[in-house]
Parts: sequence; C-alpha cells; structure tokens
Amino acid sequence: MLNLNNLSKIYRTEDVETVALNAVNIGIEQGEFVAVMGPSGCGKSTLLNVVGMLDRPSDGEYLFLGEDVAGYSERKLSAIRKHNIGFIFQNFNLIDELSVRENIELALLYHDISAKERKARAEEVMDKVGIAHRGKHRPSQLSGGQQQRVAVARAVVGGQGLILADEPTGNLDSVHGQEVMEMLQGLNEEGTTIVMVTHSSSHADYARRTINLFDGHVVTQSLRAA
Amino acid sequence: MFSNYIKLALRNMLKNRLYAAINIIGLAIGLAVFLFGSILVDYERNHDSMYSKRDRIFTAGSVFGPDADIGVQETDSIYTSLAPLLENEVPDIEAVVRTVSIEFLLSVEGENDGYYQSITFADEELTQVFDFEYLHGDARALDDPSSIILSESIAQKFFGRTDVVGEVLTLDHKDDLRVAAVLRDIPADSHFNSNLFGDREPRVFAHLMTLETIRDYDLAENWGNLSMGDLTYMLLPADRDRQWLSEQINAVYQRHAPKDQLEFIPRLKVRPLVESNTMIWEAIGIPAIDTIWLLGFMVLVIACVNYTNLATAQSLGRAREVGLRKTFGAGQGQLLVQFLVESLTTAVLAMLIAVACLEMVIPAFNQWADKALTLNYLDVAPFLLLTTVAVGITAGAYPAYLITRSSPIDSLKNAMLKGGRGILFRSIMIGTQFAISIFMLASVLVMYFQNQQVEKSSNIFPKSNILLLERVNVDDIKARHVTLRQQLKAIPGVSEVTYSSQVPFEQSNSAGMVSRKKGDEAGSILLGYMNIDEGFLDTYDIALRSGRSLTRDITNDVRGEDAEQVNVILNQLAIETLGMGDAQEALGQSYFSVPDEDDEDPIVQFTVVGTIPDLNIKGLHNKIKPMVFILNPNFLRTASIRVEGENLSDTLAEIEQVWKQVNPEYPIQQKFLDEVFGEVYIIFKTMNNVLAGFAFVALSLALIGLFGLAAFMAEQRTREIGIRKVLGARVDQIVRLLVWQFSIPVLWSLLVAMPLAFAASGQYLNFFDDRITMLPLIIILASVMGLVAAWLIVAGHAVKIATASPIQSLRYE
Repeated sequence: MLNLNNLSKIYRTEDVETVALNAVNIGIEQGEFVAVMGPSGCGKSTLLNVVGMLDRPSDGEYLFLGEDVAGYSERKLSAIRKHNIGFIFQNFNLIDELSVRENIELALLYHDISAKERKARAEEVMDKVGIAHRGKHRPSQLSGGQQQRVAVARAVVGGQGLILADEPTGNLDSVHGQEVMEMLQGLNEEGTTIVMVTHSSSHADYARRTINLFDGHVVTQSLRAA
Repeated sequence: MFSNYIKLALRNMLKNRLYAAINIIGLAIGLAVFLFGSILVDYERNHDSMYSKRDRIFTAGSVFGPDADIGVQETDSIYTSLAPLLENEVPDIEAVVRTVSIEFLLSVEGENDGYYQSITFADEELTQVFDFEYLHGDARALDDPSSIILSESIAQKFFGRTDVVGEVLTLDHKDDLRVAAVLRDIPADSHFNSNLFGDREPRVFAHLMTLETIRDYDLAENWGNLSMGDLTYMLLPADRDRQWLSEQINAVYQRHAPKDQLEFIPRLKVRPLVESNTMIWEAIGIPAIDTIWLLGFMVLVIACVNYTNLATAQSLGRAREVGLRKTFGAGQGQLLVQFLVESLTTAVLAMLIAVACLEMVIPAFNQWADKALTLNYLDVAPFLLLTTVAVGITAGAYPAYLITRSSPIDSLKNAMLKGGRGILFRSIMIGTQFAISIFMLASVLVMYFQNQQVEKSSNIFPKSNILLLERVNVDDIKARHVTLRQQLKAIPGVSEVTYSSQVPFEQSNSAGMVSRKKGDEAGSILLGYMNIDEGFLDTYDIALRSGRSLTRDITNDVRGEDAEQVNVILNQLAIETLGMGDAQEALGQSYFSVPDEDDEDPIVQFTVVGTIPDLNIKGLHNKIKPMVFILNPNFLRTASIRVEGENLSDTLAEIEQVWKQVNPEYPIQQKFLDEVFGEVYIIFKTMNNVLAGFAFVALSLALIGLFGLAAFMAEQRTREIGIRKVLGARVDQIVRLLVWQFSIPVLWSLLVAMPLAFAASGQYLNFFDDRITMLPLIIILASVMGLVAAWLIVAGHAVKIATASPIQSLRYE
C-alpha cells in the first residue's frame, strides 16, 4: 500500500539539527496490522506523521498507492488524506464544543456527501464501536475509553483504508485499552490497514508485524507467530 | 505584596506583548481623545477669567419666533433701545453696556493712507465692567466721547509704538478721535476674541455717542436692527442672579416693544458671560460643545470595551495559573486584587501615553484653532487620576471576577474555556463597539454628501468669477459710483459691474411688511428685500421669467427718498404669496407698503415690472423666501465685478489701478464671492472633519479590538483547527469558520446602528433646505464599509492561521 524509500526527516532550528528519520526503508502491504516500537525520541511519531502526510520528508521517496507524494502541495495531500487515512491520537483530540455525533460527522463534513448520508454513516459507525447511546453528549462527559472509541469511529467513518494510531491506549486503563485494541483488531480483520505506534509490547502483540526504531533507523522487524 | 503584583503585571505584559500593546495603545487613544474633549469643553466654558467681575457679567440674546424663519433660532444681541429702558426701570443693575461693532477706514490724522478696522462702539461703563490691562491710560478712557482706545498691536500698526495717548485718528477721513488709552492685546481665551473661525482681530473701542453723531443713529429708538456679536453687557450686584435678570429684562421688553417685534422676537434670553462662546452653536441649533464631549466619551467607551473584551478572553487562558495559585492557598479576594492591579497598571501606562500625546496635540490645536487650551497639571491631576482609576477598574472588573470565580480544579482543567456565557458577553461587547463606530461613520458620510450638495447648489452663482468691492456706500465713494463703473467696464477682463445692498451667501436679512391691498394691515405679509442696480441680473446670470430688468432711465424704476410709486422685480415665491397669478399675469400688478404703527411715512405703491425664478440667495441651509428687488441708489454697499477670460491677475491688477484713481483716499477692500461662501460653509466643513476624525478613531479602535480578539480566539482554537485540517478541511473553509464567528455580532450591531444613524442624520438634515435624497443608501454604504473592514481584519489573520501546517497546531499543547 505504501513504501518509504530512503526516507529522511531532519528538523532544523537555528543552532540544532535533529535527524528524526535516517534513510528508512519501510513497506506496508494493504490489510497489514503493523506496530511501531522504540524508546522515546526514536522517531516513531515522526514516522507516523510522514506516513499520514501531516509532515513532509526532507529526503527520499514516499509512494502511497503507487504515487510519489513527497513533493505534493498541502491541498493535494489534504485530498488524499481525507479519503484514505484516519487518525487516532493518544489524547483523543476531540473537539470539546461539539457533541459525539458532531465530532464523528466532522470527518465527513469535508467530503462531498449530503447531510442525510452523513448522518446515516455516522449512525452506522457509532453503532459499530458501541457509542450510539452517547451520541448527544460532549466528549468531556465521557470516560477515556469512550472518547477513544469516538476517535476510532471518526477515523473510519469516511471509509478510510488506512488507520494511523499514535499510542491509542496510552491514556487508558488496562480494561479500556484492551477494548480499543480489540476494536482495532476487528477493523483490521475487515480489511483496514493499521499502523500503530505503541509502548506496550502486549498491545503490540495484536499486530502481525512489529518495526523497531532507534535513533531514526529501523533496527529490527519481527513477525508474530500466527 | 503590592510591588509583587505590579511586578507580575509588568511581566505578564512582557510575555504577551502583542495583546498588551493592543490594550495599552487602545486605552491610550481612548483616553487622549476623551481628555482632549474634556479640556476643550472646559476651556469653552471658562473663558474671560482675566476679568475680576466676570461672574457678575451677563449678556442677553433674542430668541426668534417660530414664524421668523431666518435660518437661526436665536441671536446673541438685543435691540439697543432696551439699554436705556433697563437703566431707568431696573436700577438694581449696576451697569448696562451696549456695543456696536462697525468697520471704518482708520487713518492717522492728515495722512491719506489708512487701514480698515472694526471699531467696537460702547457705552462708557465698558471700562467699569471689564478691567482691561492698560499699558497707557486707565479706566477713565471713555469719559470723553471723542476718545478711542487701541490694543497695543493696533497702536504699533499705526504709529510704530505704543505710547500714543493723545494722538489723533480719523474715521473715514472725516471724524477725529483722540487716543485715550492703549490696552495690552486681549488674551486668546476671552470672548472678545472668539471668532468662530478666522483670524483674531485686536480690538479698538470708542464711545457709542460717536457713532450716533457720525451716522445719525438713534440707538434708543432702534427696534429694527440686530447684529450678531453686538453684545449688551449687564453687571449685576452679587445678590442677583440669572433668573432674576431674565424676569426683569423680559418684563421691560414686553412693556415697550412694538407689537410686530413681539411676534418676530417673543422673548429674550439671558446668559452669563461664560456661555457666550457656545452661543453661536446654540443659535444654529447644534449643541457643539456637548457633542464634542459626548463623542470623546463614546471613543473612551469603545477603548474600554476593547480592553474588557480582550482581557476577558485572555483571562480564560490564564485559568490554569489561577488554579495553581488557589491550590497554594490564594483566596478569591487576593486574586481579584492581583488582576485589578494588572488592569490598573495598564490604565496608568495608557494614561501616561495619552498625556504625552496631548502635550503634542494641544499646541498644534491652539495654533490651528487660535485658542489657548492648556494642560495645567495642577488643576487637572485629580481628574486624570480619577479617570485612570475608573477606567482601570471598570475595564478590569469583569475579567478579574470571571477568572477568579471558578474552583481550582476547573481552572486547572481549563474547563471554563468554552463558556457559552463568555461568548455572549464578548459578542455583545463587539456588537456595541461596531454599533458606535458604524453610527459615527454613517453620520460622517451623510454630512459629507450634504456638504457636497450645498457646495453644488451654491454654483448657481458664478462665485469664482465675481470680485466684490466692499464698503462702497461711504459718501465719498458713493458719489463716484457711475465713474467707477464706467472705468471698470472698460477693462477687457471685466464683463459686468453692479452695485447692491448685499450679495449672495451673505447672511443678512432685510424684510418689511407689505399688503396686496392698500392699507390692509390684517392681510400683510413679510417680504424680504434687496437693493440692486441695473447690472445685477446680468452679473449674476439671473434670467428673467417675465418682464424686464430695472434701469435708471425710467423715473419710477429708481426709488428716491420720498418716492410713492416704485417699480420692482419679484421672485416667484413673492408673486405666489401675493396672489398675483403666474409670471406673465403679475406684470403691472401692485402691492403696498405697511408702515410701522408710529411711522408717519406715506404708503408706497410697488408695481411689478419683472419676475425672476426662486433662487437661494443666502445659500446653505436657508429656505428660499419671497423677495423683492428694488433699485435704490442710496443703499448700495457692495460692488460686484464679473471677471472673465484668461489673464485674471492682469485684470485684477487693472481693477486695483482703476480704484486707486477713482478713490485714492480709500484703500481697496476686495474679495471673491466664493470667499464669502467659504466663510459660512467652513462651519459645516469643519464639523464634518471633526466628526470624521472621531469616527476614524472610533472605527480604528473597534477594528484593533476585533483584531486582538480574533487573534486570540484563533489561538485558542489552534488545536481544533489542526484537527479539522487533519480531517481534510481546506484553507478557505477554515477561514470562513473563523470569520463567521465574528460576523454575527457585527451584523447585530448593524441592526442597532442603522436606525440610530437614520434618526440622527434626519435631525441634522432638517437644517438644510436642499437636502440629499439618498439617505438610506448612504447609511447602508457606511454599514457595508464597516462590515467589510471587520471581515478583512479577521480574514487576514485567519488565513495565516489556516495555512499553518496541522502538525504545528496539534503539537501546540
């Protein structure tokens, strides 16, 4: 589905140059569930941001569904992102002024579909993650686990084929964390590609392949035994 | 503790430099404008402090009846016949001093050359009422009726020195007056120097009896002539007040005034001397001084609202800090004090900047307006302090209360950040600011267009092509009228010359009662009149509607002293009012004069030989009246010279030459007709400019405030914007989102501002006869301008926010 070829990301400030990703080569197939692990500061989030087209690589190639998107403008990236990629963040990143339903619909707001269809799809996905009964509530009224479920719903409501999850269980207790992982697993079984950054090796086990990063390099990749 | 707060306040300001700057500068501007307005108002209400008896000096003015219809509601003078009556019948008044100011040619005895000078003729108690500063001579100066008192600069002008007591000056080369005293030039903040606009002229005083002798005036019998600026002063004893004087003077007036005068002027209005400066504004019906204060106050309100709004928004962002402090044990009271100290510190800094601005603006203003405003710190310090504290507390109270109110945990969680009530409050504040600004803007535009209209209408007369020679009815000059005209017309650039009693745009009114049927007093109407000569219609491009012009060749066309049959020209309104049919039918018809009750003059028959259309002779805001034009060679005060062609400067030089030849002993006094227009028009133009200045400041403040708030709110929504971008929003979608947030209050403000502007402008337009018709359109224009300005400000900043990469925004926390 996507290929990073010799991809580098370097952050430059006035005095300091930080190499976040150092000529990495990563390929991810459609339908894979990949975990990315490594110590703090190794470049995991940067990797996710580049893959998610939220950030541009400094060097190298990024092929997404066969296209090299490395040099694309923000507008083009936004269009690709809209239709293909869903994001889940550690701190949920829901909008507090909007209700749960509105938060989910927000993801469809920027697609060209009718309000009726938007509502229908939102309902559908809310049922799927089991949050429909809280549709009218504000995020601040929900528990962490429920908020993350809303985030998951938002990430898939547009029919996106790829989910990028940045430490999705980082703010959750073990029970809710597990719930979220099982949700992700379910999605993956339906065909959604998932790339997940995590600190927890037990959660990484839900993934089929784990990539270990250290100081911007891919150090090892391991496959879970079926 | 306190110094701690102040240190904190200053550090906070440094941290948020942009918002602090917006706050301080906004407040500074508001304070500067408000203070300036207050100082100006105070000045206008406190002049003449150099006269020790000031608080006992009163003047009286005449209030015109509703049917008087002369364009102003009142004037600052009363008939000179009243003074002797007052002295007889109200002995408690210590002194009554009439003044009449008239221009004469003043020359040093024996010399042919001289200067025109306005001389104020007064009763001798003038020096008793006003204790002038004498360089030479003293208060007995007017004891001798043939005296003249000079200001020092006048003495310098004529003699090159000031110790000129005993020297002789001649009026119009005929009458001698002896200099009895020389005064220090009267300071700027005296009503003697309050010319509305225009150059201050040093004063020359003489005895009223001189005027009576020279001009054969009988001031005690004058129930017909009033001139603005010819004040009658009354000095009251300490135990009498304005109310008493008003009753006394009106009683005397009612007792003695002729009946038709009582209709024309139903009552007299008494004012203390300090109110005389503002009188002219009241006459026109515009409370200028109060308005200036109000405008200044409105600007201050906008500035304070800015501060409150921004501070409220910012305070929400500091909720975490407050929560933290509370966990360390700070009570709500202490926190309130801390935040109030911050707003007071801002206010103090703003005040310092405002005062610094005033130090620069006031001298410039004094120069421009010829006034003497001062910033006297000793006097003004309490007021400054009070204003600073009031502003600091008012503006800072609500934000301080808002932020210190919540529980520690809520503050730490920033839970209040999105309060619905907070949003409503801020929206109302923005709405108020814009309502005020758009109201002002609309008023400015209306004024501007009306002024344009006035200027346009004034072009019915070719005012830039007409040169006026003034004061040509002095005996010597009058005798040479025919010669002068002949020689002037010989100049190639001169196409016409005419003499008349007044010229267009001069604001004088002469009118008399006439009746259609002879002796019919009951059916008499007021007819305005103007004396002209045969060249008038051609000089001023006035086309006859019927009949012919007047000419000296026909006896009855010329009104001599005892003429009982006179031919005249009427305007359209006159023939309608007299019921003479249409323009053709009126020719040959007559009307009759209606002499005053005690007048022994015979009734004069006036026959119509020509009619002209209704023209607005006085221009500006005056309504067109029924008017008659008479050829009376004895009252032709001004010569109008129509100049055409390329070489204007040559023509002007030749005109001066001709004058010098024909009238060598009188310096030429010339000005173009558009100057006369300009002298009155400038009032309206200045009002417009002043209002525009205020509106500009108000709108700028409102926009600055909006910018600050928009920037801040956008910052608050950074994370949300990042999320939306991640979800696929485009730049223009985000911009629209941010702009819409502020459009709602602005749109609501339009609902308030537009009807108010409509009402206020309607009031203003009532002064004018020739009004603009597109009032609603103009108001809509102003509203659109305000709205677009608001959008541009918010959108500009929104674009910057919206184009930032989403990662920046999401990392924000």
